[in-house]
Amino acid sequence: MSAEGTALRAGRDPYHIGHAPSTGVPEYTGHGAGGPAPKRIVVGYGFWIFILSDVILFSCFFATYTVLIDARNGGPGPQQLFDLHNTAIETACLLLSSFTCGMTSLAVARHNLLWTEITLAITGLLGLTFLGLEAHEFHALVALGAGPTRSAFLTAFFALVGCHGAHVTCGILWLGTMMAQFPAKGFKETIRHRYLCFSLFWHALDIIWIGIFTVVYLIGIITP
Amino acid sequence: MSSHREDFDEFDLGSRVGEDQVVGAAPSEAPPTLRSELRSYLTGLALAAALTAAAFWALDEHVIYGPGIVMALIVFGLAQVGVHLVFFLHLTTSPDNTNNALALAFGVLIVSLIFFGSIWVMYHMNQNMIPVKALMEMRGG
Amino acid sequence: MTLLGKLTLQAIPLHEPLPLFSGLAVVIIALAVVAWVIAKGYLPYLWREWITSVDHKRIGVMYCILAGVMLLRGFIDAIMMRTQQAMAYNAPGFLPPSHFDQVFSAHGTIMIFFVAMPFVIGLMNVVVPLQLGVRDVAFPTLNSVSFWLTAAGALLVNLSLVVGEFDKMGWLPYPPLSELAYSPGVGVDYYCWSLQISGIGTLMTGINFVTTILKLRAPGMHYTRMPMFCWTALASNLLIVAAFPVLTATLAMLLLDRYVGFHFFTDTGGGNSMMFMNLIWAWGHPEVYILALPAFGIYSEVVSTFSSKPLFGYRSMIYATMAICIISFMVWLHHFFTMGAGADVNSIFGIASMIIAVPTGVKIFNWLFTMYGGSVRFNTPMLWSIGFIVTFAIGGMTGVLLAVPPADFQLHNSVFLVAHFHNVIIGAVLFGVFAGYIYWFPKAFGFTLDERLGRWAFWLWLIGFWVAWGPGYVVGLEGMTRRLQHYDVAEWRPWLIVAEVGVVIILLGIVAQIAQIVVSVRTREQRRDVTGDPWDGRNLEWSTASPPPPFNFAVLPDVTDQEPYWDMKARAREIGQLTRPEPNYEPIHMPRNSPTGFVTAFLATVTGFALIWHIWWLVVLGLVGAYATFVVFAWRDHDEELIPAEEVARLDRANRAARSAALAHRQLRRESQRESSQ
Repeated sequence: MSAEGTALRAGRDPYHIGHAPSTGVPEYTGHGAGGPAPKRIVVGYGFWIFILSDVILFSCFFATYTVLIDARNGGPGPQQLFDLHNTAIETACLLLSSFTCGMTSLAVARHNLLWTEITLAITGLLGLTFLGLEAHEFHALVALGAGPTRSAFLTAFFALVGCHGAHVTCGILWLGTMMAQFPAKGFKETIRHRYLCFSLFWHALDIIWIGIFTVVYLIGIITP
Repeated sequence: MSSHREDFDEFDLGSRVGEDQVVGAAPSEAPPTLRSELRSYLTGLALAAALTAAAFWALDEHVIYGPGIVMALIVFGLAQVGVHLVFFLHLTTSPDNTNNALALAFGVLIVSLIFFGSIWVMYHMNQNMIPVKALMEMRGG
Repeated sequence: MTLLGKLTLQAIPLHEPLPLFSGLAVVIIALAVVAWVIAKGYLPYLWREWITSVDHKRIGVMYCILAGVMLLRGFIDAIMMRTQQAMAYNAPGFLPPSHFDQVFSAHGTIMIFFVAMPFVIGLMNVVVPLQLGVRDVAFPTLNSVSFWLTAAGALLVNLSLVVGEFDKMGWLPYPPLSELAYSPGVGVDYYCWSLQISGIGTLMTGINFVTTILKLRAPGMHYTRMPMFCWTALASNLLIVAAFPVLTATLAMLLLDRYVGFHFFTDTGGGNSMMFMNLIWAWGHPEVYILALPAFGIYSEVVSTFSSKPLFGYRSMIYATMAICIISFMVWLHHFFTMGAGADVNSIFGIASMIIAVPTGVKIFNWLFTMYGGSVRFNTPMLWSIGFIVTFAIGGMTGVLLAVPPADFQLHNSVFLVAHFHNVIIGAVLFGVFAGYIYWFPKAFGFTLDERLGRWAFWLWLIGFWVAWGPGYVVGLEGMTRRLQHYDVAEWRPWLIVAEVGVVIILLGIVAQIAQIVVSVRTREQRRDVTGDPWDGRNLEWSTASPPPPFNFAVLPDVTDQEPYWDMKARAREIGQLTRPEPNYEPIHMPRNSPTGFVTAFLATVTGFALIWHIWWLVVLGLVGAYATFVVFAWRDHDEELIPAEEVARLDRANRAARSAALAHRQLRRESQRESSQ
């Protein structure tokens, strides 16, 4: 089944909306009528659905943050509290770690243990740096008397950013486990699938961070 | 047939979200080389870094019309999400990826409903609340 | 800091006879069952074949058993409430207010989370992979984890009866009352942690089934060849994936308020309690469609089978189902019209709530048109379906009435509302799972249930339901609010007594259901399902033996049209023998059983209990144990076991022989009928 053939048919009712399908397997790929999909696709898709559910979880925290942003309880707001330099470094750490995670994917595909471990270690270090900076920021805020119990705005801030940080922590634990699994188990199918899930997770965390630094930090700084 | 599939699986396209292949069918793209994959990730990194820098820069410089800054930030943010999805997660609109794109669309719908729906509802709720001061006065406090 | 956190001996209700004795009764019964199991030597079998099973059929059955047991607990709560209200006219009744509050809260929580959800998920577990023509769900071990986490949540809720207390705010703990300042006890914590634990299980189920339905189907099964039950299962599981994160997030926020002094919903510090209502109902409304959609799917299966006709309007059913799926996420504000969002917001959500009745109506007409012109057999599942159509149509209409904001301002939180949601949940979901378990019981266990007792159960339930909840509409319109521990309005009294009679009739219905199972098991040889197709079914699950072998299908079926099994059967009947020759049997890889689910749930229960009672060292231990379980699971080398070709052949040949015999018998009967008529 050539790619051109697929493209040709695609123009002619590939989803059989107009009439009942009579026989056989559809010409287009990706619709699962060729029998059960291979394990890698099943695992990847299942984890993608999980990522989407996690994004929905974050959206609740985003919504709550936006609703509570003005509930200062007489306390400080974003302009008094946020340090954009810190945010910029955190963003750079996560973005770079996403890139190095991509490098790990390339190494895993080629079954190269050395580069897998190196790129994973760098990813982990960048992630730990991110967490360290975030913990430092939180500590500083609490010391200022601007902890999560000070006001609803701060509650929402700490919960949203903290939820992301908790996910990154779980990610680092997972990363560490993968670093142990590759030397121990080699590049078996199940280990590669597990790594596929981990990389999806890690990239999704960076995507959520884009939302956080845009909505919380940047927009927070410029709105009164 | 099956040996062909094993060869393909061997290639294992990294963090590509699951793509469907009919048994024995050729993949809709040729298996990528290290060079092309590396280039894809580097392009993604460069674009994402540029968009991030642009977002931070939009704050500092008085280049963008004031009230438009928030919109610019949202646009940069969404664009960067797109860059991540395409270059890091390899989510494309090819027929192999339909299920993944549809799932994403469903997720975006739900997120929008929750996020904008909550903001809209709560804004109206808050509007209709008696201000705390007036409430206290009513209570004689 | 004491070793046991807040836990002291005072947590056990030694001075309160009702919870004490009921708790004791439960503990004694549980211990007796466990002792019997061990004494009879069933424990190794149970561990090997059920507790560590990752087979979707076994897991589905366990879900249904959990649901049935919890139905009894929830129903006892119901009897207590009805009796209290029948008695408490200008009188205190027998349930003190703080207990009454816990009873109605536990009743709602258990019925929704530990009866309706597990029943629906259990039936989907048993049936969907069989209908799709595949061997198991996408992630079998995760499936086991899901079940055991749900069971863990149920255990924690029931534990609150004996150790501590349950929440008193109803099945949704609205702040600020549920905040620490106003509810310092452990009740709300029991509620929150048990639902967080079971919520994770449910979310995993959602992911599992969406992946299974979209990525694991028999060759040739396009989307438009899937059985209707699989379509509704897809819609329901998409809603689970979309809605349960909202529940997790909202309960997490409440827990953060209670445990760490955050200000999400508090009435100090700038918190906004209304946001809780907003978020919890953004989950809560999709939740009821999560329950109703698979029930609708069951009716589609049952009505078409027992009308001996294909489902009318298959494509319109798909559109209606997906429309309900999407719109259900756009109506949540109708649960709090009176909270003050204003006319604009209220009208939009009101109109959306009315619109969602339209696709539901389409479905009802499709079922009616399926029956019209068919040769209808009034087996028990069909009776439940007809009962559903009548009951649910009325309940749905009261829902459209409530969707009108001005009307809702009068009826919000009245017994009219309570009657409405009991009407739709019992009418749609409960009747549906009852139809479902009778319909698919022979598939799971190999023998049908006794018809006579089934009919008794149906009529008692149907009549009992209307006698119990018809008065609810009346007293609601007469102004009675919900959750009243006592009242002094004379007009309501006769109606509440009638309602009490109704609940007794339902109790008889439940007795009939229990009797049906007991009697059916005792006399099962008389109703053996030899061929695997007791109802003349139309979809692929009826092409397997009853019960199916662990691998479901020796060879995955080739699907060329909708209702693939019906076509196969029609051709086989024409030619008088099986259509497919004996296949080349090959060994089959099936996922290995694993204790991961059970261990995870055990740790979750311990951690949950520790969190509720502030036993921090135990929390740390529990979390470390959870991580260790993950690592152990991730480290296993063999995750599959091989079923040898001979075993596959033996099981498949047995079924083929039974079916061939049935076909031959049918042929003979046909010929002798033809001869006798000449």
